[in-house]
Amino acid sequence: MTDDLAPQQPRPARSPRRKILPAAIAISVLAAVVGLVWNLVGGSLFFYNANEAVERRAELGDERFTLQGSPVGCSITEGFQGDVPVVVFSVSFGGEAVDIVHFGDPADLFQPDVPVVLDGYWVQGDPGVVDRTPIADDGWYFASDRMRVKHDNDYINDDDYDERLAESEAAAEFASEACSA
Amino acid sequence: MTTPAISEAPVHTRSTTSRLLGVAVLVGLVALVVLGFFGAPEDDEQADAVRLIFVHVPSALLTYAAFSVTAVGSVMWLWKRSVWWDLVAHGSAELGVIFCGLTLFTGSVWGRPTWNTYWDWGDVRLVTTLILFLLMIGYLAVRSMGGDESAIATRSAIVALIAAVNLPIVNRSVEWWFDRTLHQKSSLTDGNLEDLTLFTLLLGVVVWSIFYVWAMIHRFRVGWLERELRVGDLDLAIEQRRAEAHAAGDGGDQ
Repeated sequence: MTDDLAPQQPRPARSPRRKILPAAIAISVLAAVVGLVWNLVGGSLFFYNANEAVERRAELGDERFTLQGSPVGCSITEGFQGDVPVVVFSVSFGGEAVDIVHFGDPADLFQPDVPVVLDGYWVQGDPGVVDRTPIADDGWYFASDRMRVKHDNDYINDDDYDERLAESEAAAEFASEACSA
Repeated sequence: MTTPAISEAPVHTRSTTSRLLGVAVLVGLVALVVLGFFGAPEDDEQADAVRLIFVHVPSALLTYAAFSVTAVGSVMWLWKRSVWWDLVAHGSAELGVIFCGLTLFTGSVWGRPTWNTYWDWGDVRLVTTLILFLLMIGYLAVRSMGGDESAIATRSAIVALIAAVNLPIVNRSVEWWFDRTLHQKSSLTDGNLEDLTLFTLLLGVVVWSIFYVWAMIHRFRVGWLERELRVGDLDLAIEQRRAEAHAAGDGGDQ
């Protein structure tokens, strides 16, 4: 048939690049799916609240873990141990307190009653820091070297904010009781 | 298929609607900047850092919207072989990648002064969002591969549907893994916002949405014209080969 197309030249062999690209994309997608499942199943940021960390102290031993709690205002003391900045304070959650010795600068938003997430481990004994006001005072402290602030989704501008917070949050109630004791 | 000659093809993608939307985006952006920087109050805890919410949250919401549209378009391609939906899916994925990148960037910038870290690999919300971003980059990589257009559309639709499984996980992660994430719960549905902060945030969502529609209109039209051009080139090549075949046939008869 004269209307048919004229015979074509043989198709050039597929370049290595065109073979590698689909394989690379398939591997990337697979890696992303594996990464997703791994992250969802074993999220490493899992933290123990202060009351859970106290409850599991024997089980945790000197294992490194992540702790969450609200700093108690009257317990916060900042200083230095040698050249290293140290923040000594206590956190509370669920009616339990944990004394903290944090090595390093505190987070910018570190303040009373705003929950912090700390990486560290249990240490038995006295941290040897003067002028501290331990709220738990149970012979243990949590030695921390990484601090993150877990702020909530309240975006408020209120002149009476501290007063409102103290009235509304259980952590602040605990703090006021602990400090007065 | 008849294809208009190049001289007859549109030389732009604008229309009255797209112009109006473009003007609305510009006016809305000016209002958003004014309200975001000078109108909305600072936060008692975060001070001025809270103003990132006016970019971060709308970008995140439009990420969900754009990738959802891509997922719908991908289903319609696989089901109906609709080129229209395939072009919609492609355009929406490109915009979704921009919004998702903006979400990750603004979230990281916001995280440093508030959480005390730019990034945390253990945080479910952060990592699932990054995986969504990478999957959609993979989608665009598949789209950019040469070869049969229909096969590319099918492959990329499958990648889009794999990525779409991650969408509800990203969205609900702060609820499902509340004790494993630094990220706070939803600001819009669960948050406590000052009135003007909430208004500015909603304005941001509206402006970003209009921008999405405006950009989608242009991207779709560009995609359609590109396709017409490819089809036109193919028709032209076929005509030329037929003419060559005719000429060769006439020469052989002599």
